[in-house]
Amino acid sequence: MRRKYSTLLTASIGVAIVLLAALFALLENMLGQ
Amino acid sequence: MNGRIKLYFQGVFWIIVYLVLTLTPLFLLLLGPVPAGRGFWREFSVALGFAGLAIMGWQFALTARFRRVKAPFGSDIVYFFHRQISLVAFVFILSHPVILFITSPDTLQLLNVFAAPWRARAGVTALFSVFALITISLWRKRFKIHYDQWRKWHGVLAIVSVAFAMAHIVGVGHYVGTPWKRALWIGYGVVWIGLLAYVRIVKPWMELRRPYQVEQVGQERGNAWTLTLRPDGHKGLVFSPGQFAWLTIWDSPFSDSEHPFSFSSSAAHPEQLKFTIKELGDFSERIKFAKTGQPVYLDGPHGAFSIDRHPHAPGYVFITGGVGITPVMSMLQTLADRGDSRPLLLIYANKTWDLVTFREEIITLQTRLNLRVVNVLEQVPDDWKEEKGFVNAEILKRNLPEDRGRFEYFICGPEPMMNAVEKTLDQLGVPFSRVHSERFNLV
Repeated sequence: MRRKYSTLLTASIGVAIVLLAALFALLENMLGQ
Repeated sequence: MNGRIKLYFQGVFWIIVYLVLTLTPLFLLLLGPVPAGRGFWREFSVALGFAGLAIMGWQFALTARFRRVKAPFGSDIVYFFHRQISLVAFVFILSHPVILFITSPDTLQLLNVFAAPWRARAGVTALFSVFALITISLWRKRFKIHYDQWRKWHGVLAIVSVAFAMAHIVGVGHYVGTPWKRALWIGYGVVWIGLLAYVRIVKPWMELRRPYQVEQVGQERGNAWTLTLRPDGHKGLVFSPGQFAWLTIWDSPFSDSEHPFSFSSSAAHPEQLKFTIKELGDFSERIKFAKTGQPVYLDGPHGAFSIDRHPHAPGYVFITGGVGITPVMSMLQTLADRGDSRPLLLIYANKTWDLVTFREEIITLQTRLNLRVVNVLEQVPDDWKEEKGFVNAEILKRNLPEDRGRFEYFICGPEPMMNAVEKTLDQLGVPFSRVHSERFNLV
């Protein structure tokens, strides 16, 4: 069960990073000079 | 504050710290003068590369064995997370060049190691190092890589990966153009290398100052040996029953050839430590050749698998298989030494009656404790009156106490048994928070 929670956390971090990376790319293109 | 709630908040705290450390560098790069955008996909791939590197770098912290960090989760889960998140990092690191190659095919020429600039060579070296690192870790047994050799290569490849990735970032220079941004990433690198130095230099040095000596090596049932240690010039090691330590014998603590084993002795006697080790591999098969007086070094105690984390339970249930009895033995011995009278149940699975490690000691413990023992054997003798087969739902239903939801459960044994028992306990209505398991396959 603890492993399930750990896997869930790992997957959540993975998805969060993909979303944040996309946000980063958008901001970078908007703010970049 | 209730101990369980305190641990819960500690766990949440460390997860937040981890997320902040892993994710913030990406956004800090946006502060100050931001270089011109080079298109969505390129920046997206770069972001994944940075995130992958941050995850890889903080792996040094996950494996640095900080007790406070591991306490809410347990060592086995921290290592489990370490393995899983490394795969996530690898996917991100690999995605970085792959996205570039797909969206800007001209970047493919960076793979030509003869003509490519050194910053690209550094990136490619980092990528191959991570690939090698993951490959030897996932398939160590299939490639028949000796555990000690693997540990050394694991450390070397980890350093090479991170060092070359840092060189790649600084070499490209796109996001580290300003001094403070460069300082940020170099600072990260210094912290990561510092963590490694702590594990490989500071900790071994501390172990060297507190050596132990082999007092005795005794044979047990079930192809196991008990190593008894005495502290050499100090008072010994205070541990909670059920915990484990990393043990180095025949080598210096600096040699990085340590192996994790549970204490099997009573925590009431820190001056005499026992480890019961089953012959399962090269190292464990050599234990029987240890000589009296031989120096041994310990890093510990570690682990969250202990009755002492749940001191107010009305009783405990231990479900073990084979050599999984060792941490449970430590807990039972400690409870006996403390004169504990709470109800205890031990469900103990083995192949045959002759292979039951601590068979006689458990019978003796029953005279000192309020302990009921249910032996489960795969192959039973003719006059067998206890359980037969594997620990399954029927056996648990038959033997667990009526008010089973109030007890604390400790499970340790072979992987399939633990998975099945955890699932069955859940189905039987035992709250998840009362089920504690220890998995030996840390590495």
